[in-house]
Amino acid sequence: MNAYFLPRDRVDELVGRLLRAAEVIAPKRVETGDVFYSPVSSPGEVAWDYKTAVEPLKRFLLPQQETVLRFSTGEKLRVEPVLEEKDRIFLAVRNCDVTGVNVLDAMFGGEIEDPYYMARRRRATFISLACLEADEQCFCVCGDAGPFLKNGYDQQWTPLAEGMLIEVGSDKGQALADAHQDLLSPAEPDQVAEKLQLAKRAEETFGEFRSYIAAAMRRLTLAETPDEVWERLADHCVECGGCTFLCPTCSCFTVTDRLEGDGGVRERHWDACLYNCYAREASGHNPRAEHSQRLRARFFHKLSHQWAQRNGRHACVGCGRCVVGCQAWAHMSAATEAIRRG
Amino acid sequence: MAEIATICPYCGCGCGLYLHVANSRVVGTAPMRAHPVSRGRLCLKGWHAHELADSPDRLTRPLVRRGDELQEASWEEAVSEVVRGLQGVIERAGPQAVGVLGSARCSNEDNYLLVRFARAVVGTQNIDSGLAAYSLPEQIAAVSDARIADLDDADLIFLVGAEPGEEEPAVGAHIYRALQRGAKLVTASVRRHALARLAALHLPLKPGAEAAALGSLLYELVVERKLAGDADVTDLTAALADLKPAGAEGKTGLAAALVSGAADLWQAAEKVVVVFSSALAASVEGARAVSAMGAFRALGAGPRVAVLGLLGRCNLRGSWDMGVRRGFLPGAPAGDLAAEGRLKAAWGGDFASGEGLPAWEILDQCQALYVMGDDPSRNLPDWAARRARLEQVKFLVVQDLFLSPLAELAHVVLPAASFAEKDGTVTNLEGRVQLVRAAVKAPGEAREDWRIIAELSRAFGKPVSPQSAADVFAEISQAVPAYAGLSHHSLQAAGGAEIGRDGAADALAGAISALRAAEDGAQAAEQFPLLLVADPTLGTWAEEVSVSHLPVAGREFTVTGKDYPDGMLVLNPADGRKNDLRPGRPVEVASAHGAGRMQVKFSPEVPEGIAVTPYHHAARHRIMNIVAEVETGRPVFAPTPVSVGAGK
Repeated sequence: MNAYFLPRDRVDELVGRLLRAAEVIAPKRVETGDVFYSPVSSPGEVAWDYKTAVEPLKRFLLPQQETVLRFSTGEKLRVEPVLEEKDRIFLAVRNCDVTGVNVLDAMFGGEIEDPYYMARRRRATFISLACLEADEQCFCVCGDAGPFLKNGYDQQWTPLAEGMLIEVGSDKGQALADAHQDLLSPAEPDQVAEKLQLAKRAEETFGEFRSYIAAAMRRLTLAETPDEVWERLADHCVECGGCTFLCPTCSCFTVTDRLEGDGGVRERHWDACLYNCYAREASGHNPRAEHSQRLRARFFHKLSHQWAQRNGRHACVGCGRCVVGCQAWAHMSAATEAIRRG
Repeated sequence: MAEIATICPYCGCGCGLYLHVANSRVVGTAPMRAHPVSRGRLCLKGWHAHELADSPDRLTRPLVRRGDELQEASWEEAVSEVVRGLQGVIERAGPQAVGVLGSARCSNEDNYLLVRFARAVVGTQNIDSGLAAYSLPEQIAAVSDARIADLDDADLIFLVGAEPGEEEPAVGAHIYRALQRGAKLVTASVRRHALARLAALHLPLKPGAEAAALGSLLYELVVERKLAGDADVTDLTAALADLKPAGAEGKTGLAAALVSGAADLWQAAEKVVVVFSSALAASVEGARAVSAMGAFRALGAGPRVAVLGLLGRCNLRGSWDMGVRRGFLPGAPAGDLAAEGRLKAAWGGDFASGEGLPAWEILDQCQALYVMGDDPSRNLPDWAARRARLEQVKFLVVQDLFLSPLAELAHVVLPAASFAEKDGTVTNLEGRVQLVRAAVKAPGEAREDWRIIAELSRAFGKPVSPQSAADVFAEISQAVPAYAGLSHHSLQAAGGAEIGRDGAADALAGAISALRAAEDGAQAAEQFPLLLVADPTLGTWAEEVSVSHLPVAGREFTVTGKDYPDGMLVLNPADGRKNDLRPGRPVEVASAHGAGRMQVKFSPEVPEGIAVTPYHHAARHRIMNIVAEVETGRPVFAPTPVSVGAGK
């Protein structure tokens, strides 16, 4: 795929053009200092110097709460789907988060397409900004999702000393580059070399957290992890659901109907497989009644070979948000460590 | 999409969160990394806070009782109905016939104006907290001096009667992280909960011997190991005389070796944080145990000690500070002349300044009740009897988010704005005053609680001057010394401001009198071989309308009611087998005081010989022994010997 160079003094011009073409979602610093991926209205709002955003991109494709259809039950039952269709460019988002979207695609764009997710997904473009420095909770090197990627993005931008290196990863990314050729020049070999240097340096900045994904994957796949490990992990988990909500790849949801007049709306909400009632059946039977069973199911889904084969990869991108958000100590890094120790 | 920084409305931790707003609707919740308590974490309730604002079950219009029915009415009609009803009772029986209950769910501004309304507009001193029956402000305020961040450099955490992982998960998160960096944990509780299983040492508390058990440890620390330093502990030592661990095992249920093991860990530490649950205060001996903790702070030698009391509801501490507390004015005990002077100036004249009745007597005696944001009948041990009494109240006004069971009995129901729809402040369990921000408009005609109170004050002919929540807070900062110098503007930053306490009692004196009175643990009997304990930390949220109406989180809490429709009786599996019981099946539970049916749950957390039931489940039945606390007259459950009949 092609690579281009965007001089530093033209970055705002290009961002301005993107803003005129679509809704642009970019890292934005809120008043507390936290950073969110959020709609921006001017190039100056983009927090280029951020490390990580509080939340992944999931909310924009699979909202925490969304109306999926409206119905009326008058003389004739009428059902209308509610699809959100608009062009969105996700700018300067992290590679772990772009990889997370690719995992969600396997869930919602696979054998049975989810129309609500796909309506948003088809019109989304992902421009990632490679990380030059890891945040404290990061372990994307273990998750095979960063800090630099070889593919999976529409464009990957790397901040070089004099401007952005723009690598194209898809037809959508190429079309975007083609539309703004007047601002770009083909990348020079020394610019690509500079990127490789930055990538190497970035990998040296990771902190204490890691994830023993290979060990966990083999043992989960072969069910070699003794029950005591899950029971012990259950004592380190308060079932807040934070890891699942913050995870770029978790996709559990539940559906409720909200009645209004002689009709109503059907809503979809994020749910968590760790919650006691997630798998509970109407009879009251709960196939995963024990907390330890729910933890096992979650990590099996994340890391087993069976799921990795189906999705094309395992489902941890190493963003470390479960480390930040865990109310106790049962995040991915702690769990794979517990599994490895057996 | 906009992210509005605000504070979680549920437990007393005061976590920072963001509400995501799109198209004037709250559509999501996100954690706040920049927040000093929650640091990017939320619990099950917090993660679903947006569902509260967006619930289709919210009250949107005032309701007025016409005959047997509550019917929608305009605000004008509802307000004049409230004035007519309250004035009728005042004219017939005087203002003291009106009782007012405030709420730990509401902001400081809401509670402050409610106190002003009660004392200066209605003229009644009968104002208390809906949670008064199991949260004793005096005792807790006297002993709790720590900040949550104290846990971050503690090397020993001593957890008494608390499971913060369940109750105050944000505090639990600090403890889990302390364990990761190598801090030691000692737990003392009836249930061997998750954190107790991770503890270096667990002290199984015998129900009814909570204070004696702490006394035993204090004896070891003060008398045997001489950790009092230069402090004068003559009276304390005398109070502990019967609690020498080696001789007191029968009394406390604690083996001397366990007490000595805990003391070893204590002595090896440089900084100890004692963490206790305010739910301990729901029993006589638990309340004494809370007071006894004051003695830990008096230890002059050995490790530095801090004591942290956990409060289970969002603004419980703030509501106390505002005077939603028997015998307390905003910022000072009743009878404090300086405070009376301040309040007279702020409120424009005389007001009812007496101590007033506690909540349980208000419910028993008052002819008219004004209840904001709570269902106090459920927080008392004899719920069924209380409910019958509430049906007799001549005039009942309830101001809430949902049509609660109490609101169903009301003459007037006023729809309130939720935390997501109003500006205001809340004060967390450690005294952190934080700003809650309106993210969206309240549904329908619902209004902020403080605005409803202001409107009523005006209708009573005594208008209050504040026009906004910030104005109300400005008045609070004048009236309540601990809040002096603060303003909505100064509280903008994540984490707000930390304050101290007004008028806390002497911790050591309280500890000595509590320890002197400490009793032996309750005993099961041959006919009733199990000891039944009501646990306010189990299943309390299932009963809260602010949680039960949430589509996702509510499902998790209300399932207890589905699985255990008559009440949950938690037993050790061995006791279950012994009695030929099966999980989920109903059994007859009988005591010398009555009998009732409950469904059984097995849990190894509960020791053999003990049965545990959620406080609210016990309150539905007449099985347990309800006693009146000697000092206060407060009705509380006593651990009760019971038998369980054959499973049906």
